[in-house]
Amino acid sequence: MPSQPPLPPLLTTYLSKQPESSLTLISSILGATSNWLVLRYLYAALGTSSSPNVTIGSDELANGVKRKVVLVSFLRSWEFWRAEAKRLGLDLARLADKQQFAFVDGLSELFNTPSTASGAPTNTGSAVRTTLPLRSQPGTVPGRGPPSTVTAERLGNEGLRQREPGTAKKLHFTGHGVAALDVMEKDIIAEINRQKSSMAEGDEMLLIIDQPDFLLAATGASMGIGATEMAEWVTGLQQHAHATVLTLAADSPLIHNASTSGIQQSSPIETEHAAFAIGMAHRARSVMQLRTLETGAARDVSGVLRISRGGGWTGEAEDNLEERELLYYIQRDGGVRVFGRGES
Amino acid sequence: MSFRKRNIGLSAGVDRAAVPNASTQPAPPESSPGIRPSPDDGRPTTSTGSPSLDNLLAGHAGLPMGKILLIEENGTTDFAGALLRYYAAEGVVQEQKIHVVGVPEQWGRSLPGLIGTAESLEEKRDKRKDEKMKIAWRYERLGEFGAGVAGSRDAPAPAPAGEKDAIAKPAFCHAFDLTKRLTHPAITNMSFIPLVPSRESPFAAILKQLQTTIGSSPSNTIHRIVIPSLLNPTMYPPNACQPEHVLQFFHSLKAMMSAYTTRVTAMITLPLSLFPRSSGLVRWIELLSDGVIELCPFPHSADAVATSGAATSVEEPPQGMLKTHRLPVLHERGGGSDQNVGQDWAFILSRRRFEIKPFSLPPAEGDTEAQDASATGGMPKKSDLEF
Repeated sequence: MPSQPPLPPLLTTYLSKQPESSLTLISSILGATSNWLVLRYLYAALGTSSSPNVTIGSDELANGVKRKVVLVSFLRSWEFWRAEAKRLGLDLARLADKQQFAFVDGLSELFNTPSTASGAPTNTGSAVRTTLPLRSQPGTVPGRGPPSTVTAERLGNEGLRQREPGTAKKLHFTGHGVAALDVMEKDIIAEINRQKSSMAEGDEMLLIIDQPDFLLAATGASMGIGATEMAEWVTGLQQHAHATVLTLAADSPLIHNASTSGIQQSSPIETEHAAFAIGMAHRARSVMQLRTLETGAARDVSGVLRISRGGGWTGEAEDNLEERELLYYIQRDGGVRVFGRGES
Repeated sequence: MSFRKRNIGLSAGVDRAAVPNASTQPAPPESSPGIRPSPDDGRPTTSTGSPSLDNLLAGHAGLPMGKILLIEENGTTDFAGALLRYYAAEGVVQEQKIHVVGVPEQWGRSLPGLIGTAESLEEKRDKRKDEKMKIAWRYERLGEFGAGVAGSRDAPAPAPAGEKDAIAKPAFCHAFDLTKRLTHPAITNMSFIPLVPSRESPFAAILKQLQTTIGSSPSNTIHRIVIPSLLNPTMYPPNACQPEHVLQFFHSLKAMMSAYTTRVTAMITLPLSLFPRSSGLVRWIELLSDGVIELCPFPHSADAVATSGAATSVEEPPQGMLKTHRLPVLHERGGGSDQNVGQDWAFILSRRRFEIKPFSLPPAEGDTEAQDASATGGMPKKSDLEF
């Protein structure tokens, strides 16, 4: 199989152009995950500056707009994103050092804050460092080495400890309801502002939130969080970024059970999820829907990508978003082939 | 790339094609038994204790470290429990640390007995087959027909030169006998985490204990987390089924997996009859797992159908269907390119093995009569063909 360009040609226009304050929704299901598409968004925003062919220093895109990305991930670790981006030729750790990229970790310590005593040396940390020639830290110090010289705005032990493995800021869910969401929102905004501090006029900030719907599912009404609160939370974050990309699960039990036509009663987790997902789709400029083939699995097709206009599409002349349905295939080497039905 | 000299190491990160082969994964800790690199991308994997399940896992020939495998089962049978016991027994034999959640220590005493390595069993079976099949002597060297998944992926490096090494090399996967009981010095090393009823999340205590033991263990210890029959109301208190409890537990488990990427694996079974896949909660549990496999045992009334489903009388009839909904690593990347995906699988649990093989529909029922008639009538007897 020939290796594929990092950005599939058919998707380039969709990936690289996000109008001001737009929301893009990526919906995925169990057998068709969205990670590869998120990585393509990362590449579209950051790719040109990190490719080894471009000399360091010429960070601008063709039109002179620098782009920065803040990725908030609730289901996947920094290690995963770093390794997968590397397959695309994108060194996220280096980009993070250059303040072009920031990762906000919603996985490691979201619900359980480890006691400081059990600060076991994370072996992921050392693995990260071996691949980072540009980092100022010595390469072989296991996890608990002296903190790097990053002077975070918030000082104190906590802030420094968090900076250590890779660049991840770790989110914590503490407390109840909207207050807990506010704390996380503040943390993410702090990270966005840290990136913004080095931004020039006209630079764009892309915010990617990977599966915030998990937050909704894992908290629910008993903790005072519903679809409305989540939607407001996203809005709050959206205000701080140029454009926002959101990934959500859209499995049929999570969307369709909510309608009352079914025999079985729908549970709150289903109704709230459906309300959140559909609400987001109404606000989004475009919806990228990932799903598997209806006709069963195929050897040369991983799934179907449907690009459609969301409720937030303005319909203005310059906002020409073509709706289409494409097939995609993920190769073993991580390359993605995107093609129309009937083509190959 | 042909202009490149082949014996010169590729510079890191420049060439995308080289990346999958490069050690993107942290190398497994030295001298850890039962861990081997995946033939697909070199990440460390460990065996699930049943070779055919190992081979199903998207070309990694084992369960990649740091991954959660969810096995769902319909009906009242306990095939998933057998898989779980193989998984635990394999861990015991490899002297890994086993953490069993929610069941009494009795569970640990019912682990299947060790009868050798998986390869030895395979060889034995082949030999037996050779004795029987005289007609096919011509094709002997072509390998076993229909070996399917097992044949193609088993033993990633059966190089002729490596045959001697294979004996010295510690086995990756062992064979177990369900009718025997495992006796191994390491069996006392299993830890059982009881469920403590509490008004808060019943999982909080479990998680805490897992974290402290794994966090405080030396860094070369490999852990296996075994959770039989999750949310089963005979074991779990009613509030365990609340999404905020069980989903937060899964999320924290996932976090633990990412913190100790090379040291922990988990296998969890879930009774689907109580928690159908069409519910949002189960779907979230699936989304939080790295691998999702569903077992659909045939109902007893289907025994007749199943019997005729076997191609020959020597083969055992399949006992159920197996569906793969998500495979570790593969689907995290986007999925789809594995040749095992989309196949219909059947499983057979016999005394000595849990076998997964492609499912083929049995011949139509009416045909058997015709076959019988022809067998007794026109067709030459077996003895006539012997030479």
